[in-house]
Amino acid sequence: MTQPRIEMKNVRKHYGHNEVVQGVDLKVEDNEVVVLIGPSGAGKSTVLRMMNGLETTTAGEILIDGTDIAKPHVNIDKVREKIGMVFQHFNLFPNLSVLGNVTLAPVELGLMDKAQADQEARHLLDVVGLADKVDARPASLSGGQKQRVAIARALAMHPDIMLFDEPTSALDPEMVGDVLAVMRKLAADGMTMVIVTHEMGFAKEVADRVVFFGDGQILEQGTPTQLFEHPQHERLQSFLEKVLEA
Amino acid sequence: MLAGLFAIMTWGMPREQVQAAETYTIGTDVTFAPFEFADKHNQYVGIDIDLLNAIAATEGFKVEWKPVGFNAAVQSLEAGQVDGVMAGMSITPERQAKFAMSDPYYQSGIAMAVARDATIKGLKDLRGKRVAVKTGTASADFANANKAKYGFTTVTFDDSNNVYQDVTTGNSQACFEDFPVMQYGIATGVALRVTNKTPYAANNYGIAVLQSHRQDLLVKINAGLKKLRANGQYDKIVAKYLGDGSQASQAAKTKKTQEGDRSFWGLLQANRATLWAGLVQTLELTVVGILCATVVGILVGLLGVVPNKVAQGVATTFIYIFRGLPMIVLALFIYTGVPGLIHTKIPAFVAGIITLTLNEGAYTAAFVKGGIGSVDGGQMEAARSLGLPWTKAMRRVILPQGLRIMIPSFINQFIITLKDTSILSVLGLLELTQTGKIIIARNMEGFKIWTMVALIYLVIITLLTWLSNYIQKKVR
Repeated sequence: MTQPRIEMKNVRKHYGHNEVVQGVDLKVEDNEVVVLIGPSGAGKSTVLRMMNGLETTTAGEILIDGTDIAKPHVNIDKVREKIGMVFQHFNLFPNLSVLGNVTLAPVELGLMDKAQADQEARHLLDVVGLADKVDARPASLSGGQKQRVAIARALAMHPDIMLFDEPTSALDPEMVGDVLAVMRKLAADGMTMVIVTHEMGFAKEVADRVVFFGDGQILEQGTPTQLFEHPQHERLQSFLEKVLEA
Repeated sequence: MLAGLFAIMTWGMPREQVQAAETYTIGTDVTFAPFEFADKHNQYVGIDIDLLNAIAATEGFKVEWKPVGFNAAVQSLEAGQVDGVMAGMSITPERQAKFAMSDPYYQSGIAMAVARDATIKGLKDLRGKRVAVKTGTASADFANANKAKYGFTTVTFDDSNNVYQDVTTGNSQACFEDFPVMQYGIATGVALRVTNKTPYAANNYGIAVLQSHRQDLLVKINAGLKKLRANGQYDKIVAKYLGDGSQASQAAKTKKTQEGDRSFWGLLQANRATLWAGLVQTLELTVVGILCATVVGILVGLLGVVPNKVAQGVATTFIYIFRGLPMIVLALFIYTGVPGLIHTKIPAFVAGIITLTLNEGAYTAAFVKGGIGSVDGGQMEAARSLGLPWTKAMRRVILPQGLRIMIPSFINQFIITLKDTSILSVLGLLELTQTGKIIIARNMEGFKIWTMVALIYLVIITLLTWLSNYIQKKVR
């Protein structure tokens, strides 16, 4: 068996006396799509952000392709080059054009020259259905378009892993479909993905594994069928009832 | 860090005492006619100036005059920034202890002047009144020594003109001033009259030099003075400014140094070159000051957002100290305080630029830090999550957005810097404000000259605002 892409061992995080992540063990294998669900405040976003070092770790190990990024003095920038991240609020760079957003990192980090990066970016923007927005300013785009640019921006670094932090939560309902379609395509192409989302339908359809968080811990995990059809934990049962009702 | 900055800014400056042992730097007042004042050609003239120049010619040394104002001159002497001070300085035991004082060269004393129509006749009539004096002068000492006895209060000013003005406007009912100086002022047109025929507290003027010059400069001065008195040159110099001692002959002598046409346009014409020179100095200070303060401000502001506690501490402390200090205190500290510490003279222009750099730099650093801080935190997270190191993320993503937020603050700071250069007049820099003071010290036309100076500032600020708005439009 190959080494897991991500392996978290007994990971903890404190904010003062408040322990928001209480001993999480989680493995993500190559090509696997893992969806993190749970009520807000359960720690799923924090766990996701720990996977690329945006949140510091109080205790435990976080191995990315075997490198423990929870240790001090790790070259976190090198690790991040291989992990794409998509945010709830897109975080596009308003001072750059759409093309500039997508080409910034590969050019700045010397992975490609400008011409090569431009060509690659046009291709990626075509894939996410925004070939005609290459020269647009982020401010002129709709939420759904912004999020697809953000995905293209992350993909331009040719990451091994993509992290999605509630990618559709800030979108108008009619925009959600376009973004999910792009993510679906990525999953089908074999990208390793960790997704925090409230889109249960999408989770059911795309996830290889669903992980349920409560109070900073993993309370239950398994295939979508196991979790959605036969929830064991009482908290998961009541969570699903509330979410599916809505 | 501060010491390093001073070291850099003073590095390579000419050391006057090394380059020519024969040239002495002498500090003097800017507004103490008839002893020192700028004539209508903006040349420094007066009894002190002519006398020491004549002594220097006899004894074979050169004088470099520094008209910086009385207080600044004395402080410069204390700090070793100048070799001596000649500014109608009374010989007192305190000064004899601190400096090497020359033989007396002029006998003076104190005059009490009041408004022309005032009923005050003598010291006894001062009960309950307010008396204006110039700071650090023998007149001020005399006022303080007698205010309890005669029951008056005092108010102090830095310039003679302000002292007289306070009496003519009625804020004070009398002023004490050195006798010949008061007579000169009245001859020039100050609407006051002297109440006493003979001076109070008669005293002698002397030249103060550094204790270290007791064996050379002081000896030469005393020898030269003796020669000038013997050969009649001394009397000629005094008569050139005071006539035969009568008010009428003094007025006649005074007229020669004055502008002929006293209208607004006449004064503007007569002082055009002088005001222009002041404006140029103001612009030099402003441009160099803005450049240095902007560079330092951006660097310190960036230091304040680096994810490092020590760097942030340095930035916060810098802002705290230099934004907290009044600029005039900072300027005097650097010009007259620091040289004693580092044993190197700091030229007034350099001291002025350091002051602007630190003070305006602190304000700039504060809004640079704030501007960067106001960029959405998600921007840094997004840039870093792409693998960009902190510096690259800062340069390509955060700074371009932060700078746009800061543009109005920069424009505001440039305008403030221009105005703040006027504070540097305390260092004796001949910028616009100091130029105005000097012209007024000669012709006592406060209202007209300050109007001119104010208008010049407004014109420059208007031009600066237009330029800034034009740049702002280009950037957006």
